[in-house]
Amino acid sequence: MTDYVSRFSREGSLFIPKKFQAFPELKDALIANRMQAGFIVAPMAIALRSQGVPIKIVYLGHRYGSAVVVRRDGPVHTVRDLAGRTLAIPSRFADEHLIVIQALRRNGMKPGSVHLVEMAPPDVAGALAVSAIDAFSMGEPYPSQAEMGGYGRILFKAQDYWPDYMSCVLVVRQDVIDRRPSAVQALVDGIARSGLWLDEGRPNREAAADFVGRYYFNQPPGLLRWALARDLTRVVYSRLAPRKADFDMVRDLMLQTGTLKRKIEFDEYVDTRFADGAAGETAWTYAPASATSR
Amino acid sequence: MATLGRTIGLLLTWTALITGLHLWLNVDWSILFNDRLPEGERKLNVAYIPVT
Repeated sequence: MTDYVSRFSREGSLFIPKKFQAFPELKDALIANRMQAGFIVAPMAIALRSQGVPIKIVYLGHRYGSAVVVRRDGPVHTVRDLAGRTLAIPSRFADEHLIVIQALRRNGMKPGSVHLVEMAPPDVAGALAVSAIDAFSMGEPYPSQAEMGGYGRILFKAQDYWPDYMSCVLVVRQDVIDRRPSAVQALVDGIARSGLWLDEGRPNREAAADFVGRYYFNQPPGLLRWALARDLTRVVYSRLAPRKADFDMVRDLMLQTGTLKRKIEFDEYVDTRFADGAAGETAWTYAPASATSR
Repeated sequence: MATLGRTIGLLLTWTALITGLHLWLNVDWSILFNDRLPEGERKLNVAYIPVT
């Protein structure tokens, strides 16, 4: 979401956004250098770096924005009710997986007490609607899709179990960081300014929902308005600098769940200089109407 | 003979039409052209999935 006005940086359009439907294909494109940067889930970025893939996390995409959703009229009303049921996650290497593990542990349950299945994000709401799964843990707008459709109910939001929850992060290939640091800085600056602009208020969120739904996500703008503009704290686009404490927690949860094989230090997979460079940025000055008509 | 020629012509036209539509609809020309620019002038390809 935050990339949509960052295309129009001070230097002109420096970036070509490319949509993928699932993380595995996006990951392969990064490895093959068909993509030089991308938004992927934080645990996947850490795992790839630990396996020697030459990428670094340089910024966050957003905070919050994920939830566990169950059938509205179904029998699951508490986390303990999830025992023995099937819950979809986008990937084992996703924060949406780790948040489920966190919630189960806080409720005295073992990670294996729920049957976890990996599913592409666009498929989960439909799977819940036809009862192919009992629940899903996913980022917006899929929780909103299930709510709007009348068959889904939020069991808990990620921030209920993980204050300052983060999910998608911006990774950049190391060769691009080394050879074109000014382009990376322009990208991060643009995302920082977009995030501040998005968090200025509801009119900007509604304009972004219309624009992104139509030109980026190919989703109904009404769905994105539900996700972004009804409750402005549902997804937050400021405070996006990577913090060591957040990532240490993700890494430790990955080690505990076996999705990370070795302990990797923050400096090995995060480059904070671009976030530091963007610290003084201010929101874009676009009026919402001009953003929708662009 | 004329029928054969007309059939081949139709097949070639159909093939050209389908090929043209494929190139127009399914090939991302902006990425292809960008990849052929000198590195310093190249735009960065930034990947995302339609989630938040």
